[in-house]
Amino acid sequence: MSTGNPILQIDNITLAFGGVTALNGISFDVAEGEICAVIGPNGAGKSSMLNVINGVYVPQEGRVVFKGQDCTKMRPRQIAQLGMARTFQNIGLFQGMTVLENILTGRCMKIRSTWLEQGLNIGRARREEVENRRAVEEVIEFLHLQGIRKTPVGKLPYGLQKRVELARALVAEPIMLLQDEPMTGMNLEEKKDMSCYALEINREYGTTIVLIEHDMSVVMDISDHVVVLDYGAKIGDGTPDEVKNNQDVIDAYLGVTH
Amino acid sequence: MIYRETGTFITSYLEDRKLFPIPFDKWAMAVFMLFMVFVVPFIASDYWLAAHLIPILAYGTAALGLNLLTGMTGQLSLGTAGFMCFGAFFTFNIMLRSPEWMNLPLAMILAGSVTGVIGIIFGLPSIRIKGFYLLVSTLAAQYFALWFFRSYPYFLNYATATVTLPDHHFDLFGIGETFNVDMASFEAKYLLSLGIVTALALFAKNLMRSATGRNFMAVRDMDIAASVIGIPVIRTKMLAFFVSCFYCGVGGALFCYAYLQVLGIRTFEMNRSFEILFMAIIGGLGSIAGSFYGTVLVYEFPILFSWAGDYIFGGAFDTAVVDNVAKIMYGILIIALLIREPGGLAALWATAKQKLRTWPFPH
Ligand SMILES: Nc1ncnc2c1ncn2[C@@H]1O[C@H](COP(=O)(O)OP(=O)(O)O)[C@@H](O)[C@H]1O
Ligand SMILES: [Mg+2]
Repeated sequence: MSTGNPILQIDNITLAFGGVTALNGISFDVAEGEICAVIGPNGAGKSSMLNVINGVYVPQEGRVVFKGQDCTKMRPRQIAQLGMARTFQNIGLFQGMTVLENILTGRCMKIRSTWLEQGLNIGRARREEVENRRAVEEVIEFLHLQGIRKTPVGKLPYGLQKRVELARALVAEPIMLLQDEPMTGMNLEEKKDMSCYALEINREYGTTIVLIEHDMSVVMDISDHVVVLDYGAKIGDGTPDEVKNNQDVIDAYLGVTH
Repeated sequence: MIYRETGTFITSYLEDRKLFPIPFDKWAMAVFMLFMVFVVPFIASDYWLAAHLIPILAYGTAALGLNLLTGMTGQLSLGTAGFMCFGAFFTFNIMLRSPEWMNLPLAMILAGSVTGVIGIIFGLPSIRIKGFYLLVSTLAAQYFALWFFRSYPYFLNYATATVTLPDHHFDLFGIGETFNVDMASFEAKYLLSLGIVTALALFAKNLMRSATGRNFMAVRDMDIAASVIGIPVIRTKMLAFFVSCFYCGVGGALFCYAYLQVLGIRTFEMNRSFEILFMAIIGGLGSIAGSFYGTVLVYEFPILFSWAGDYIFGGAFDTAVVDNVAKIMYGILIIALLIREPGGLAALWATAKQKLRTWPFPH
């Protein structure tokens, strides 16, 4: 799917928390339209990397360039407006809201009506509500969430919550989707579904995907590009085959944890 | 099966978003409102209007305001009575110092808006601090209001303690004179309060089922995730403070104009803030209707308990003792309720409705 043009450039990122260096001079590019997997053992700095990319953490050094714009110091909301969406490792759903409400929040950047119009339920506000609902229903259908629209998300099993979170990210119609361990804790069946969704999103909508995943068979199956992190350093970067045969990666990661 | 939703098919998204998706609810609400408007003013005595219905409407407005901030947006506040105080004083001053054409509802809207802006100022710390620490800032609003109006007697028109609110403030577009009705009667005050409360509750309901309301709840549930999906977290919090304090301000104005009929600073001491916080918690944080259930319970139960206490033990014990025991009983009841159902009366009602829906065959 990839066009080869970098849509996201990570340039020499260093991020430290007090004494802990979570990321140490990391650089890599993500090409437009590819599925890029970020792998590495626990504590390697993968989640921190995503947090730097979408502005939750500001790195001490380095630059993040998205669509040609330096967004290193941008707030998460500004980066979302550039077309980046994401899901969280520990599920970032709004626990007090229903599935439908959660997914609808993903459309927040499309809203043009003011709160006064919404409170009075007039013209534009009503229209937008229907338009957004239509967009949400498309994604609900795509991810097979029809039966649970009015269920509070807290009552759903873990795997379904992950899927609702993906739906919320998708309704924003992102150019780039970051997924932090979307399949961890899922059974084989659910993992298969999630991989299919990732591939389909990538193919149908041309969405560039960066995902963190531990399951090597999934990674090898679906990704065009793999970046390997270990203790905050990058130790591998290339196609799945290249990475699989990289001696550093085999030593540091594949050999040790599997 | 008294209560039913079967036979109701959702055919469009607009329909799915209706205020009352279940026809039974819609009709029940319509009957209830018609009763409140066309029957209650004629059958209720002045005592019932002045000592029960009107105060419940005024308290309910403030409880709803607090609920929008604390229940919906997750920002704790102990400044409710302070914001009511601003609303009441500003309404009075607008009425006092404006030309003839000014009327009470408009004055309340203006005063509520100014109160909303004051709310934003005291809400600014919420950009950086959360939870209990925010209580300090809203507590400051509470004390600032009392201090401000004590320091500037101008706003009380230089009266010593309280001002009796003049009857002519209640006139609306000359209706009183034209039709020769008393616009300052309890019936008129009740209908005015009911109209304002209905409009505000409807506005809140609409807001909560659109993007703004979802933004409120998103900020409450997880502000990091909210900002990552593009919700303007700071603006959302400030808007919540504005809307909430608008409601509290109007509630304060109703409290003085429709209920007490006098304006004074002591009406808005700290304990009133607590009282309204209890109403919101007991009714159910995050529920619009719950704000009113909680108000009815918190307002009526002490009256009911002390009345019952008096009735049963009145002759045998000292009234003060009976009163205190009644208060303790009431406290125990509240605690028991919240242990059984932390979601408050609104959650209790939802469960009951759920049961009723399938009754008598739960499977
Ligand atoms: N907010 C934080 N505060 C302090 N340390 C953090 C924070 N986030 C991550 N870290 C540290 O950074 C390192 C990398 O963590 P993380 O990015 O979560 O790893 P991964 O996702 O690869 O398991 C860990 O040592 C972790 O303890
Ligand atoms: Mg992680």
